[in-house]
Amino acid sequence: MAIKEEQIRPNSAASLLNRKVIEGRDTTYCIVSKNVSEYHFIVPFDLSEEERVEVGQIFSIKDQGLTFLARVLNIEHSSNYDGHWDTTMKGTQFFDDDQIFNRVIAEPLGCINKKLEFKKSRTLPTKFASVTRAEKEEFKFLSQVMGDIEVGYLRNGSRLVEEIPVALHSEAMDHHMGVFATTGMGKSNFMKVFAASCMRLFARGESKFGLLIVDPHGEYLKGKSKDLVKGLVHLKKYREGLACYSTNKQNASDPGVEELAISESEILPQDIALLYDWSPPQRDALEAISRILDPASWLEEIQSPEGMARMMQEGFKDSTVMVLVRRIKNELGRNSYIRKRSSLANILANLQKGKVVLVDIPRMSDRSELFLLSVISRYILNEYKKDEQEGQESRKNCLITIEEAQRVLGAGSNTTRFESIAREGRKFGVGLCAITQQPKLIDKQLLSQFNTLVVMGLGDRNDRMQLEESAKQDLSSMDIEIQTLEKGEAVVSTLNIPFPVPARIHRYEDYLRRLEKEDKQESLITRGGFKPFLE
Amino acid sequence: MEEWSRLSLVAELIRDHISLDGIDRYLAETGVQKSDFVLVEPSDFAGEIFAVDGSNVSLCNWSTADVNLIRAGYAVYRGREWRRTVITFADVLLADAKLCRNMFDPYLEQFFGLEGIDLKESDLDRLSSYYRELQEYVAINDALGEAHAGDIILYDGSFDVFEPLRGALAVIFARAEEKGVALLAVAKSSSLFWGEEITLPFVQHTGMAGSRLAPEAAWYISLKDKKVDASQGRWNGQTYIVRFCGQSEHAFRVDAPIFLQGEMGSVLGKLAAYSCSAECLGYPHALFRAHRDIRITEQEGAAVRQRLMARLSQGGMPHSKIRMLMQDFHDILEMKPRI
Ligand SMILES: Nc1ncnc2c1ncn2[C@@H]1O[C@H](COP(=O)(O)OP(=O)(O)OP(=O)(O)O)[C@@H](O)[C@H]1O
Ligand SMILES: [Mg+2]
Repeated sequence: MAIKEEQIRPNSAASLLNRKVIEGRDTTYCIVSKNVSEYHFIVPFDLSEEERVEVGQIFSIKDQGLTFLARVLNIEHSSNYDGHWDTTMKGTQFFDDDQIFNRVIAEPLGCINKKLEFKKSRTLPTKFASVTRAEKEEFKFLSQVMGDIEVGYLRNGSRLVEEIPVALHSEAMDHHMGVFATTGMGKSNFMKVFAASCMRLFARGESKFGLLIVDPHGEYLKGKSKDLVKGLVHLKKYREGLACYSTNKQNASDPGVEELAISESEILPQDIALLYDWSPPQRDALEAISRILDPASWLEEIQSPEGMARMMQEGFKDSTVMVLVRRIKNELGRNSYIRKRSSLANILANLQKGKVVLVDIPRMSDRSELFLLSVISRYILNEYKKDEQEGQESRKNCLITIEEAQRVLGAGSNTTRFESIAREGRKFGVGLCAITQQPKLIDKQLLSQFNTLVVMGLGDRNDRMQLEESAKQDLSSMDIEIQTLEKGEAVVSTLNIPFPVPARIHRYEDYLRRLEKEDKQESLITRGGFKPFLE
Repeated sequence: MEEWSRLSLVAELIRDHISLDGIDRYLAETGVQKSDFVLVEPSDFAGEIFAVDGSNVSLCNWSTADVNLIRAGYAVYRGREWRRTVITFADVLLADAKLCRNMFDPYLEQFFGLEGIDLKESDLDRLSSYYRELQEYVAINDALGEAHAGDIILYDGSFDVFEPLRGALAVIFARAEEKGVALLAVAKSSSLFWGEEITLPFVQHTGMAGSRLAPEAAWYISLKDKKVDASQGRWNGQTYIVRFCGQSEHAFRVDAPIFLQGEMGSVLGKLAAYSCSAECLGYPHALFRAHRDIRITEQEGAAVRQRLMARLSQGGMPHSKIRMLMQDFHDILEMKPRI
């Protein structure tokens, strides 16, 4: 076969020279790789202070009709040069700035379609699709999935997105909530903001649950005036949403604060069990009490000679029973709120109406606080169980706050009361709000039942690991971010919002000022997306 | 170890002869003198620097003929700023001795007004290299078309070129001179040598001598009348050894056409100002970029090989046959599954 001449021999100069010119094309802020679960884009290596990219920032990628959102996980030095070029580098007199850059590694959050629906993404953006810092426009869809309990503003890296409030869902509250932060990072502040939003909901007639806060530090009621830290009573506009009880005589003398009382008949031997470390025989004796004595009057009975005698008849040593009695007397003497009268029915009624109930017990010891919390929460759970059977429609759910929750929800702790609320409370509309600085001490299985997590700065790696391993939403990729959260910054993970949302929690005092200013009536109408507060 | 007995011998040889103790013998035997080292003063330059390079990988090879992927072009800088990279040729070449005229002649005729190539039997096994060189000259020619008087064109290599292509180079020199464009070839490696008993590397030793005689400075020396063969008579130009940057250890062979003789100091001064990038200290940065932009990477070669095989397969050729034709036994020995 003859080889045709023109196959190899072009015959015009134009067809000989096939010139291609490559000119400077900006390849920064374009997707360059990698796959459906990880996006890479490059940015100049010498960005100015305000343009710098930070871990946790959210970027948006517009690609035909879709907008992908991705969160920065890490940033690396990188270049188009192979090998260990960096280590042989001679100075920083780069000629080709376009060849040296930072590689940003981002995790896809999902994708917004034309109808403004947000979905997890099963595909990846087109190569070289352009990347920009996400602005309020891209976050708008979030307003639609936010709930009714405002706690802060959306945060993009360290920047606030004031137009987008972060708000939790009342509906999720019986599914338990956890608030985690190293000490001083803003747990109490968060709780006050949360409570304020609940009070406001009540005042508007929109409350869906009652919130119980038992405060052993005396910080929620009036704050600390010397540090200009405000308390819940300072939210005058929505004061009707708050019911206060105090063991402190002076606090209780304020109008609108009731002196706390628990009746002896509401205390069970198991509650007393929480107060001390007991020897096995003592524990046996405690457990036998409700069998031997009348459950409604056992406290009085056991202190009488007849009661003692009946215990001894059952084979308990007098020394054992003496210890029990001595400790009980002690406790009754110390806790003057134990009387004939009781506030519990009232507390319950307020919770069921959907109010915030604050039980102020300043300077109470650790164990006494647990004791009280145990009595109140058992009462509440029992009443909610009854109501469930009686089919009470009108009552609201209830959320019980536990400070230093690792004390009662720890792996192997013997305080089964709270565990049982965690496990079965939901059926009856009772949720737990566990606050702790040491999530690593909380039982993993319990943790995995929490549907809402408010994670603030956590320095301890083990604390973060524990959360990452048990959270319902995947937090593991946010490790660096959680480690570097500053005071008041949080990552909010809740099932009704499609990805863990970075937030700046309002400073309570600022929020207070804003709520006092807002128009009660108007805000009634604009439910959900609140007007942003811009001073 | 027995089998390495020669290693110590070689080490001895390098220590005793190749690594110089002093530079006296070098100066005596090469005829280079201290005064030959001319210092280069880096100077600002507002014009453009063009750097021409080419690249070549084999896709398959039957010894008698082979298929190559070839690319040639140049990068353009103004000062430290990269302006663009122009690719003038990027294509596959079937290098067959029987068809070669058809590959060379149109270019020689169209771009350089030359008659056609005259290849000897012995040239035929380096066809693809020559073809790449030809394409590099086409690239120089294209750069010349874009350059303005006073600009500099650098070529990666030497002007001591393959004889049948010398005519093209002569045309290029004439055009450069006419246009007032400086044209230099900078070689990363060179076969210059000196020494009477043993072959000694000339460029490296000149570099060492320069470090002693003109420390921490940029300099050049002309090889005119030196006892080293740079085949200078053959291509109408002059060969130099140049250190572009005082902080660098490296020196390079630089070839320049005769018409530049009087301007070497000023042209090299302009280059010296742009041969100190952090990316590649001591080398004209434009050449560094040209090398990186134009080189054909291993992956790229592999991708084109795949495409070629896909074509064959679409054309109905069975896979076993493709493998038989395209697989290189070296690859089989290396256990590299390129196909
Ligand atoms: N969202 C916030 N914005 C601004 N400042 C805040 C914020 N949250 C907390 N702070 C400040 O940090 C200080 C500590 O906050 P807070 O008492 O809430 O921490 P905490 O985690 O409850 O500490 P502890 O472990 O001691 O209970 C407060 O004085 C408050 O001013
Ligand atoms: Mg606190």
